[in-house]
Amino acid sequence: MAAGNEEVCLPASVRRLLPPFAAAPFGPLLTLSLRSLARRRPSLFDRLGEHSTARFLIDPTDLSFAFNVVPDGVSAVVRVTGKSGSAPCDVVIRGPLLTLLGVLDGTLDGDALFFHRAISVNGKTEAVVALRNAIEDAELRPSDLLGLRGALARVADAGILGGLSAARHLAADAPVARARQA
Amino acid sequence: MPSLKLTLGPLFFHWPADRLSTFYNRVADEAPVDRVHVGEVVCGKRMPFSDPAWPDIIERLERGGKEVVLSTLAAPATVRERRAVEELCADGRLVEINDITALPARSGRPFVTGPFVNVYNAATASFLVRHGARTICPPVELSLATIGAIAAGCAEAEFELFTFGRLPLALSGRCYHARLHGLHKDSCQFTCELDPDGLAVDTIDGQKFLAINGVQTLSAQVHAVVLDPAEFAARGVRRLRLSPHGCDMVEVARTYRELVERRVEPTEARFLLSCLDLPGPMVDGYARGEAGSRPPVAV
Amino acid sequence: MSGRIELVCPAGTPATLRAAVLAGADAVYCGFRDETNARNFPGLNFSPQEMAEGIRFAHGNGSKVLVAINTFARAESTDLWRKAADTAAACGADAVIAADIAVLDHMASSHPGTRLHLSVQAAAATPEAIGFYAKSFGVRRVVLPRVLSVQEIAALNRAIDVETEAFVFGGLCVMMEGRCHLSSYATGKSPNLNGVCSPPEAVSYVEDAEGTTARLAGFTIDRFAAGEPAGYPTLCKGRFTAGDKTGYLFEDPVSLNAGSMIVALKDAGVTALKIEGRQRGKGYVTEVVRAFRRAVDAAENGGDPVEIDGIVASLSEGGRQTTGAYRKTWR
Repeated sequence: MAAGNEEVCLPASVRRLLPPFAAAPFGPLLTLSLRSLARRRPSLFDRLGEHSTARFLIDPTDLSFAFNVVPDGVSAVVRVTGKSGSAPCDVVIRGPLLTLLGVLDGTLDGDALFFHRAISVNGKTEAVVALRNAIEDAELRPSDLLGLRGALARVADAGILGGLSAARHLAADAPVARARQA
Repeated sequence: MPSLKLTLGPLFFHWPADRLSTFYNRVADEAPVDRVHVGEVVCGKRMPFSDPAWPDIIERLERGGKEVVLSTLAAPATVRERRAVEELCADGRLVEINDITALPARSGRPFVTGPFVNVYNAATASFLVRHGARTICPPVELSLATIGAIAAGCAEAEFELFTFGRLPLALSGRCYHARLHGLHKDSCQFTCELDPDGLAVDTIDGQKFLAINGVQTLSAQVHAVVLDPAEFAARGVRRLRLSPHGCDMVEVARTYRELVERRVEPTEARFLLSCLDLPGPMVDGYARGEAGSRPPVAV
Repeated sequence: MSGRIELVCPAGTPATLRAAVLAGADAVYCGFRDETNARNFPGLNFSPQEMAEGIRFAHGNGSKVLVAINTFARAESTDLWRKAADTAAACGADAVIAADIAVLDHMASSHPGTRLHLSVQAAAATPEAIGFYAKSFGVRRVVLPRVLSVQEIAALNRAIDVETEAFVFGGLCVMMEGRCHLSSYATGKSPNLNGVCSPPEAVSYVEDAEGTTARLAGFTIDRFAAGEPAGYPTLCKGRFTAGDKTGYLFEDPVSLNAGSMIVALKDAGVTALKIEGRQRGKGYVTEVVRAFRRAVDAAENGGDPVEIDGIVASLSEGGRQTTGAYRKTWR
């Protein structure tokens, strides 16, 4: 299955390129993207039902910060937060960034990941199941989240997905390379 | 308020023939119940052992003034089991059907539907009434409120509540007693006979949870609905079903008789039941529309 | 029965329906987003509009859509189930899969033109029961309970004149479906009433030094060592203690793969093969449907069972597999 052993981490070289928590201006940008997605595809958020007001803490284990997401359609909010869950939340989803993104773009099987610990899940299991099923049906592309269309969207998708795939290979190969050195 | 009748349901467990005779003889003489179900419901393989005992038991019960109902298998599969169901359905006495398999053979003549037949709404109840259903004992997971809603939409049937006993929760094609003892169902050696109330199944943290009885899974806890008789009547319940166990069933029947005749209060009746050698602690969540494993609310 | 074997595949969302159709499903089964279907999980299933669009897409690509309305209609709101049946018929469903007599009766009287399939939840396993449903409601196909061996299916098919559909892959209920209240006993929600078994809102994972404990409504279902994959705590797949033994008392955490039995099931007269998993993702559904498409085509072309087994053997649910009750030793 796609799940396999995809528990790979961002290589240190890539991680260094990402801003530390304090410098991250992602919150408002991601909030805007999510709300614009909700306007374009309301059915995606209908699928969440009562769980659209749940607070999801998405915590990429290889980043220095986490995201607090309330996926409430056009009222959605994304906040960038620190690691120590200071803000209350209903669900914590924790895993390597590439694995989390793999679920989002559908290249990895969410089922296997959610329940086999590649991603760890704590809190309201039913909200996680709703989120996973909504994402499954959404067939999201990076451009959807960025609110891009047309040629620009194709360029972004190709660039980002290609980059992701390359990063995933890089990360997957890393342990092998280390083993060879040993 | 019409009076509530008491039914002794069919025995789910594999008791030796002499134990069956002793048990039902005492029921005939002493248990204040109106109706008694006889016959094997859970496993067709047990029938050769108990079949010879039933004619005398039936005769004795009828002499004791009990209405006898012939219960049929919940999951007939083999040619022999299907023929047994068909033969029982030809009897002049009241018959309990526990699987749709029995319906063609019994259609047009009066029958009881047991809790293994999925009656979840009035439309289904009315359909079965048109085929001959007189008494309907709905699936155990239904709440009193839901049974009330079914009864309200199907006045022709008499509704019976599964009121006392380990809950029949599931049936399987696989025999768990055989599996536990490393045996195959087809050569099971009848190890279920070792456990007259079923064998307790605990969680790995030692919580009491379930019980196995051959192909059947029951609750470990004893479902015991103990309410003011007016509350049963308000939900359209006309009969209470008591499911036989190894504890003193005559005493269980007496307690319920006193409850429905208002000679004891519900709290007192619950106390009397708790004094018996029950196979597990009492629960009644299903009746309240909750998880079946919920204990009674303290009064 | 002659004719080509029909491959019936699951879809929990419109995206999965499209994926299953494109992967070669002859028919897709799915349900509405409410308690009327037996896979009522959060975020899953179809709105009436999505159902209509899904059916148009499937028909445009030569596939059928079977709508599952296969829970038991609640006494207090039986009309919700009748309305679901009306909507399915209005959407142009190729068949409705039902278990409850109230739903079957409504379909037979209000939508006699729509094919009726008897859900596995009805647990009809004898010629008498199946004959009764056929005669009373015009049921055209019965989904067989997963407790019958291939020999029993062959004997059954000789005794009935409706089509049969058999599960070949996916989750395996060890209890007779439609007759199991284990879930409501622990959690208050059941397959028959709510379309869920061991529902996610009752699940909790507790981590400590020894590993992860998976609980369902407070009952410990299983425990996993640190680092070991923590499975979903489905009640009948848990570890329990009975007598002096502790283990997987009811069923090992295995899933059904009867890929090696396709030819045998066809010879036993089975009309359609069913893949379980409306709660599964489209990646999973695509992979499984593709493999079974190839396997069924190979079987239809007189392929060798060993070769066919090889096509589907590589599929896994991340766990061990069994041919279930189809081989009598399972019991």
